[in-house]
Amino acid sequence: MPALYRASLGYLLRHPWQLALALLGICIGVAVIVAVDLATESSRKAFSLSMETLTGKATHQVIGGPRGVEESLYVQLRVKHGLRSMAPVAEGRVRINGVDVRLLGIDLFAERQIRSFSLDVTADAKAANGVSVTSVENLFGSLLTEPGAALMSTETATMLGLQTGQAFDVEAGGKRFRGSLLGQIGGDPSLLLGELVVVDIAVAQQWLNMAGKLSRIDVRIPAAEPGKREVLENLLPAGTQLLDASSRTRSMTEMSTAFMTNLSAMSLLALLVGLFLIYNSVSFAVLQRRGLIGVLRALGVSRAQTFSLILAEGLALGLVGATAGVLLGIWLGDYLLVLVSRSINDLYFRVTVTDVSISLFTLVKGLLAGLGATLVSAVIPAIEAASYPPRLALSRSVIERRGRQTVPLLALSGVALGLAALFLLNISGSHLVAGLTAVFMLILGFALCVPLAVRIMTFLLAPLAGKLGGTGARLAVSGIEANLSRTGVAIVALAVAVSATIGVSVMVESFRGSVSTWLDRTLQSDLYVAASGAPLDPKLITELVQTQGVAAYSSSRRVWLENPQGRLRLFVLQLAPGRYPGSEILDAEPAQAWNGFEHESGVMISEPLAFRRGLGAGDTISLVTDSGERAFDIVGTFRSYDVNGGAVLISRSSYDRFWDDPAIDSIGLTLVAGAESADVMSRLQAIAQNRQPLVMRSDAEIRELSLRVFDRTFIITDVLYWLATGVAFIGILGAMLALQMERARELAVMRALGMTPFQLGGMVTTQTAVIGLFSGLAAVPLGLVMAWMLIEVINRRAFGWRMDILLSWQVLAVAIAFSVVAAFMAGIYPSWRAASSSPALAMREE
Amino acid sequence: MIGHNFRLEPAPSAASEETGSGQRLSELLGSQRPEGYAIARQPRVFTFPRDHGPHPEFRNEWWYLTGNLEDERGHRFGYEFTIFRFSLTPFTGEVADPVGSSEWKTDQVYIAHFAVTDGDRKKFYVEQRYARGALGLAGAQSDPFRVWVENWSIAEATGQAAGGRSPENWRIDVGADSLALQLDLRAEKPIILNGVDGLSQKSDEVGNASYYYSIPRLSSSGRIRVGGEQFTVSGTSWLDREWSSSALADDQQGWDWFALQLSDGSDLMYYNLRKTDGSQDRHSAGTWIDKNGKARHLSRDEVQISETDEWVSPRGGTYPGRWEIKVPSLGLVLSVSPILPDQELVTTVRYWEGAVDVEGSRDGQSIRGRGYVELTGYATP
Repeated sequence: MPALYRASLGYLLRHPWQLALALLGICIGVAVIVAVDLATESSRKAFSLSMETLTGKATHQVIGGPRGVEESLYVQLRVKHGLRSMAPVAEGRVRINGVDVRLLGIDLFAERQIRSFSLDVTADAKAANGVSVTSVENLFGSLLTEPGAALMSTETATMLGLQTGQAFDVEAGGKRFRGSLLGQIGGDPSLLLGELVVVDIAVAQQWLNMAGKLSRIDVRIPAAEPGKREVLENLLPAGTQLLDASSRTRSMTEMSTAFMTNLSAMSLLALLVGLFLIYNSVSFAVLQRRGLIGVLRALGVSRAQTFSLILAEGLALGLVGATAGVLLGIWLGDYLLVLVSRSINDLYFRVTVTDVSISLFTLVKGLLAGLGATLVSAVIPAIEAASYPPRLALSRSVIERRGRQTVPLLALSGVALGLAALFLLNISGSHLVAGLTAVFMLILGFALCVPLAVRIMTFLLAPLAGKLGGTGARLAVSGIEANLSRTGVAIVALAVAVSATIGVSVMVESFRGSVSTWLDRTLQSDLYVAASGAPLDPKLITELVQTQGVAAYSSSRRVWLENPQGRLRLFVLQLAPGRYPGSEILDAEPAQAWNGFEHESGVMISEPLAFRRGLGAGDTISLVTDSGERAFDIVGTFRSYDVNGGAVLISRSSYDRFWDDPAIDSIGLTLVAGAESADVMSRLQAIAQNRQPLVMRSDAEIRELSLRVFDRTFIITDVLYWLATGVAFIGILGAMLALQMERARELAVMRALGMTPFQLGGMVTTQTAVIGLFSGLAAVPLGLVMAWMLIEVINRRAFGWRMDILLSWQVLAVAIAFSVVAAFMAGIYPSWRAASSSPALAMREE
Repeated sequence: MIGHNFRLEPAPSAASEETGSGQRLSELLGSQRPEGYAIARQPRVFTFPRDHGPHPEFRNEWWYLTGNLEDERGHRFGYEFTIFRFSLTPFTGEVADPVGSSEWKTDQVYIAHFAVTDGDRKKFYVEQRYARGALGLAGAQSDPFRVWVENWSIAEATGQAAGGRSPENWRIDVGADSLALQLDLRAEKPIILNGVDGLSQKSDEVGNASYYYSIPRLSSSGRIRVGGEQFTVSGTSWLDREWSSSALADDQQGWDWFALQLSDGSDLMYYNLRKTDGSQDRHSAGTWIDKNGKARHLSRDEVQISETDEWVSPRGGTYPGRWEIKVPSLGLVLSVSPILPDQELVTTVRYWEGAVDVEGSRDGQSIRGRGYVELTGYATP
C-alpha cells in the first residue's frame, strides 16, 4: 500500500467513531433501498410466477363478459372447428378450514396442452371413499368420479392441515360442500401453487355455482403460427375476446406499479439523508488533516494525487458501507416483505410470498447507489483538499471564511434548483417519475438555502440567547454560525429527514380525512347485506327488502370488465327510488348527471380513471358489452379512492340492457326512522337462515374496516420515514462529535479561561439543541412544500386521487420538538467528551 | 380388437403433448374392478343400428376401422382409426344430477387413435385424442349412428353423397392439418357375428368374454392427406366392434389379430391369444367369411400359424415380422408380410397395428390379398 493511502487508513482507524458513523449512514441508506426493492420485486415476481404457473403454456385467454364464457363455445371450438391447444378453466375462491383459497377447475384431458403441474401428482394414500389408491393409477378416474376430489400442493395441504385421503368442508358462495384430498401436486418447489386447490371442472362449476360457464379458456398459439389467432378471433361471438395472457398478467401487476414506485422514492429519501451524512464525514476527515495535506503538498504530492486520495477514501468507505448495507437490506427485506405483500393483498391482487427472492440486479443497484452517493459527497471535500496550497496549514477560520463566501452562492443555486423543479413539474404533465424527480430537486434546492437561513437565524437569535442564558448560550448560538461548514450540513440532514415526516404526516392525514369524508358521503344506507363470496340469492333479496324496519334499498354488483384498453371495474348500482348516492360529482351538475345516469344509459367514471385517460363529463367511454363494444356517454366524474386503475359506475337498468348478468352482490338497506339496526339484523338473519349465510355490516363498520385497511397501507410508510430519521439522527451525532473534536483546542482554551466542565458541557448541549431547533424550523416550510407535492403531484400522478389538504399544528409542533430532542440526545455524548477532556492535553494536541 | 387390455405397457416418458399423460391414463383404464358392470356371459340378440351405438353398462368398447387404400397411380396407404369408450364407474342407470350441477360430470371417457401408413414412402404416422363423454366433446349414438372424439368422427353418411340412407353407409372424418382422412364407407358384406353368435370367449373364466361383430368388407373412397400432400384414394376397410367388461386373464400375454381380405372374395379373421409362457391359448379363434358373406367359425385347432421373421422395435420389444398361416380345412396357405416393418403406435399404450400383404394359395389356386394385423403384448420398456 502506498504511503499516502497508509496514512489515510491510519487516520480513519484513529477516529473509529467518525468511521463507524459514516459507514452506518451509508449502510442504512443502502439497506433501505435494497430492502424496499427486494420486497416490492418479490411480491411482483411471486404474483407473476403464480400467474405463469396457472396459465402454463397458454399464450392467450378467451375472456367473456361479467358471467364468463359459455361452455358451449369451448365445445364448439373443439368439436365443430377442430381447434386444439386450449383448456377450459372454471375458477374462483372458496374457503377450506377457514382459509381463503383459489379453486382451479380443469379438464384433465385438455391439461397437457396447457399446464403440466396438475398432472404431476403423488397420491400415495387412500382415497376418501376408503378405496386404496396405491399409486397414481386411479387418479384420473378418481378425479373425474369421486365427489369433491381435489389436488393441492404439499405446502397448501400442510397449511390447511390436510392429509391425502382426508375429507374436508368447503364453503363456497355461502354453501357448504364436501371435498376430499385425492393427492398432492408434486415436487417442483419453483411452482408457486400456494393457496391453490385443483379440482375437476365439474366440481368447480358446482361449488362456484357457475354451471354452463367457464371463467376463461386458456389458449396456446405458437409464435410461429400467428394466423391461428385470427382464425380463433373470427370464431368468437360478440362480447367474447381473445386476450394476450402475458399482457393480462402485466396489466394486473401494473396497477400496483405506482404504489411500488412511491415506496422506492421513499427509500431514496433515506439515501439522500445518508448522503449528507457521508459528506459530513468525508469533509471532516479532510479538514482534520489540513495540516498534513499541506505538508504532503509541500513534499511534492500533486493536486491530482490529493484529489484522488480523498476520493479513494470515499470510495473505500462507500464500498464497505454499501456492502454492509446490501447485507442489512436483505435481512430487512424479509420484514418489509410482510408489510408490502399485505398492502398489495389489501389493495391490488392476491399474492402469497413466503420468501424474498434475491435478485442480483437489486443488490448491484443498491451497491452502486451507495458508492455513487459516497463519491458524489466526497467530491467537494476532495476538491477542497486539492486546493490547499503547499505548507500552508490552513486555520479553521480560513476555511470558515472561505465557506462563508460560498453561502450566498449556495442559496442562489438552491433557488435556481427549486425553480427548475417547478418548471419540470409544469412541463411533465402527469408523469410520475418526473414528479418524484422534481420533489427531490426541490428538497436539494431547499437544502442549499439552509446555510444562509441558519446565518440569518443565528444573527437574530444570538443576542437573544445572550440575554436569556448568558455568555455560554450566546457562544453556543453564534458558534453554530461560526462553524457553519460543519453545522450547516448537520442541520440540513436533520431538516430533510424531519421535513419528510412532516410531508408524509400531512399527506396521510389529509388523505385519511378525505377518505373518511368520502366514505361518509358514499355510505348512505344504514345496513349493507351481502353473501360471502357469491351473489345474493334473488328470491332471498325480495324477502329481505320487505322485512319490517326496512324503508328502502339499493343494490350493487361489482364485476371486472376486460376492455381493449385494459381491465376496468364496473360498479352496477340500483339506486333506492328518489335517492341519489352521496358521491361527489366533480365536473357536472349532480341532479342532471344522475338523471342521465338513471335514464339515458349514461355512466359515471371515477376520478382516477378520468385522470388517467383524460376523460370527463361529455366524453364517451367504450365498454365491451355482451354484444360487442359500445360507447357510453360519461355524465360525470365522481370522487373515488379506488386503487385498481379506475372504475365505471353504471345503473342497473343500463347494465341489464347490455349485459346478461342479473346477479346482485350486495344490497344497502335504509331503515325506517326509529328502527333498531340490531333488531332488523336479527330479523334478516332469521329469514336467511339455512338458505344463504349473510354478511351484514352497518355503515359505521364498513367505514371502520375501510380505514383500517387504509392505516395498514401506511405502516410501511411509517417504517420508511423512521428509518430516514434514524439516519438523520446518526448524522447529527456524527456532526456534533466531529465539531467538538475539531474544536477541542478552542474548548480547551475556554476551560483554561475558567469555564467549568459543567458550563462547557452545557454550552455544547445548548448548541446541539439549537441546531435541532434550527433544523425543525427549517423543516417546517420544506415539510409543507413536500406535503403539497405529495398530495397534488405524487398522489395525483400515481393514483389520480385528489384530496383536501388537512393541516394540523400538532404535526408541526411534534416535528420541531422531535428535532430538538433528537439533536439534544445526539449532543449528550459530545458534550460529555468536551467537558471531560483535559484542557492541557487538548491544547497540546495541535 | 385391441383395447381389451389397456394396461399393456408404459408409454415412453418423452411422449408428445397428446400422449404425455398416457401411462397414467392407461393404468387407470386398466384397473380391474369389473364388479357392477354388465358381463358378457351368454349370446345376445344383436339389433342394428342400435348395437352400433354405445353400451355404457359395459366397461369398455371400441369402434375399430382399418383399411388398405391406394390412389389412381397405385400409391399405397394403410389406415387405422379407432375410437375406444371406457366407463370409469359401473353403470347405475342414474338420471342426471339435480339442478346446479355441471354438464362436465361424467364417467365416460373416449380415446381415439389414428394411424396412417404411407406404403410408398415407407412412413408411419400416429395421432391420438381423448376427451370426456360429456357436453358433446366426445360420445356415441346409434340413430343416426355417430361416434366421435372432438372433431374426429365416424358417422352415418347423410345427404346426396350417401346415395340414400343405409345403416352401414358411413363416413370417416379424422385428422388435423398434416394428417387427415375423409373416407366414405359402404358395407359390401353383411354384419358378421364372431365367436358363438357374437359372444367371443377369451378365457375359461365365465364372463371373460366380449360381444364381437365385424363388417369384413367396406368399400372405401375419399381423400387422405399425408406428408403435406393430398391423395384421392379408394380401397377396402374392415370394421371390428367389440364391448366387454373384462380384461385378459392373468396368464395371458397378448394377442396377434389378423383381418385379411383375399382376392377370391373371401375374408379371414383370426386372433391368436398368447399365454405368458409363450404358448397359444386354446381360446384363440377366428372366422372365415366366403365371398357371399357366409361366415364360419374357426377354432384354434383348425388354424396353424408360424412366425417366419421378426422385427425389433427401436422402442423396445421384439415383434414377429412375417407369418405363415395354414387352414387345412379350407385348403388355405397364406404368407402374411407387413408393407412396412415399423407400424408401431406409441400412444397411451404401445402396440403394433399395420397394413399387410398376403400371398398364397387356396386349394392349389394362387391367391393374393391385403389386410391388417394387430400385435399386442410385445413391447418392453
